[in-house]
Amino acid sequence: MRIRVTVVAAMSALVLAGCKVTGPTPGGQTPSAPLFPAWEAPRTADGKPDLNGVWQSFTTANWDILAHAAQPGPHPEVMGAWGAGPGGQSIVEGNEIPYQPWAAAKKEENFKNRMVVKVTNDPHRYDTGEPELQCYRPGVPRANYMPYPFQIFQTPDQILIVYEYKGAIRSIYMNSKEEAPSDTWMGWSKGHWEGDTLVVDVTSFESYTWFDRAGNFHSDALHVVERYTPVSPYHIQYEATIEDPKVFTRPWKMSFPIYRRVEPNVQLVEFNCVPFVQEMMYAPLGLYKPRGE
Amino acid sequence: MGDRSLGALCAVTVLIVLGLGVSGGVGGQSPSSTAPSGTKVFDETAVNTEAAIKAAADKVKADAAELKNWKQPRTPWGDPDIQGYYFNHSSYTPLERPVALKDKAFYTEEEALAAFKRAVETDADVDPRVVHYDWKEYGMDAWQMSGVKPNLRTSLIVDPPDGRLPPLTPEAKTRLAAAAAAEKAKGIDVTSPGMYTRCITGNGGPPRIPGGVTAESQILQTRGYVVMVQQSNNDVRIIPLDGRPHLPKNVNQWLGDARGHWEDATLVVETTNFNAERNWRGSTDAMHLIERYTLMGPKTLRYQFTVTDPMTWTQPWSIDSLLPRIDPPIYEFACHEQNYGLINWTIGSQLRAKEAAAGGQTTQSLREER
Repeated sequence: MRIRVTVVAAMSALVLAGCKVTGPTPGGQTPSAPLFPAWEAPRTADGKPDLNGVWQSFTTANWDILAHAAQPGPHPEVMGAWGAGPGGQSIVEGNEIPYQPWAAAKKEENFKNRMVVKVTNDPHRYDTGEPELQCYRPGVPRANYMPYPFQIFQTPDQILIVYEYKGAIRSIYMNSKEEAPSDTWMGWSKGHWEGDTLVVDVTSFESYTWFDRAGNFHSDALHVVERYTPVSPYHIQYEATIEDPKVFTRPWKMSFPIYRRVEPNVQLVEFNCVPFVQEMMYAPLGLYKPRGE
Repeated sequence: MGDRSLGALCAVTVLIVLGLGVSGGVGGQSPSSTAPSGTKVFDETAVNTEAAIKAAADKVKADAAELKNWKQPRTPWGDPDIQGYYFNHSSYTPLERPVALKDKAFYTEEEALAAFKRAVETDADVDPRVVHYDWKEYGMDAWQMSGVKPNLRTSLIVDPPDGRLPPLTPEAKTRLAAAAAAEKAKGIDVTSPGMYTRCITGNGGPPRIPGGVTAESQILQTRGYVVMVQQSNNDVRIIPLDGRPHLPKNVNQWLGDARGHWEDATLVVETTNFNAERNWRGSTDAMHLIERYTLMGPKTLRYQFTVTDPMTWTQPWSIDSLLPRIDPPIYEFACHEQNYGLINWTIGSQLRAKEAAAGGQTTQSLREER
């Protein structure tokens, strides 16, 4: 775990965590708005709110997007407290994911098999296990609440987000009509501004990413609408509407604040996890020889 | 993921071609290609080498004409604006100069065209016994890409003056021999192939070495930063321009730690903190890289770099090349996700090694015959 919290961010987290319990109001107002004095975001050269910077969210949603107690990790006999997961509150509105009955069962199965990693050279088969465990791209919205920072590069036509985890990237094409050429792990993002809110429509996902380590999942019919609203010099209120008629009975929402990383000279430090998983993934196939032997 | 073995021919490159006269040089009537019924009809330059060679030669002249009224664009905050999409190929100029050319750094125009023609035709000619993919079927040969042109330079390397990589230091020779012996003793496994096949880094450097497929890239600028994205493996380098210090020495990264600044209209990027396991061309974590990016016109980015690694080479070496602009965008390159190619590569290579040990004909021996 590499949660690096600045004093400013940590203090803010406490304040916001207290307020988040109420969830978004029906009118679409961001719940945290009353927390902050009236404020207008600084502008880029083309007059839009300036979201450039290094950001990070501080939830425990990567373990479970619903409310959850602290729990020991796998292999506590060697991993001890290192492997344990922190408890946390739900980022999902109403603390409920409206799964279809088969999907609720599949979620449980996912959790049970989260560490069963079976890779194969058959490109039509995809034996799973938790995607993060295998250093796969996290998809959206998960990339935004993993315990790693990300950096936003904003231009008038394209907003590039670079995530520290795996160096995953996504481009948000502004006011674009271009359709995705194929399904992808990070989806195909088209953005526009509604007042000071960046609204991003994300489609064309693969079915392989999960929302968290708890096995919450979606299909390739996933459609995510994200809303990024700057609410202070140091905070963006984030909201995502999740729709997937193959898996859920209705659309549902998640929301959480994203914090600006304010350390001097803060930068993303490479997290290229591919070398970290090669033994786990390929040794069972007899294709990895332990070092130094 | 492909393991392309066309060697130096795929190498890309460089410049200094302005004024190459080509009018009568290339056969004017290219055989028209007839697409099979029901298939898409492609641009001639993507299916016909003759047409591609002529178009490339004509382009050299057209680009020179376009330069006349060109002015360096600026970002709203006043930096030189070099944003856009670029291709890490611009010609077939090899990294190292053919030994026979000795100190001849430039071709005549006629020679340049002949070399280009030869390179394109060799690239297009594929022996299915030794090459798994015929990239031209996918429109991925360099000559099928717009912007790839003949070039007067005989090599990308401009220093040392013989256009060849400098000799390895004795220490490097010992180190690399020991590493090769250790690899051989270990035997083939998933860590044997290169970083590209393993999906650890793409083929786009740093530094960018021309060659290979998926050579598309993007440069994007915001105030205080330049970001470089390679299509290959989606490698991304974030380059701060605020003069901050490098990360501490112990913080090594596969793509290094980059810092940039402007010298007039040239972006100068200094990269250190390379991961030793990257083993780029035998280099160590002492490798120090200086790159220079200069927009030369509406369609061309000049790319120069100097590599220094006293643990590896007896002197620094430098290249000078041109990157042509291409159309957007960069797509997702989810390489490690379901990398069944790595599994197949490893199983196949283990089989080949067994065959070779038994004295059978191998892919390698076929290559050598060729």
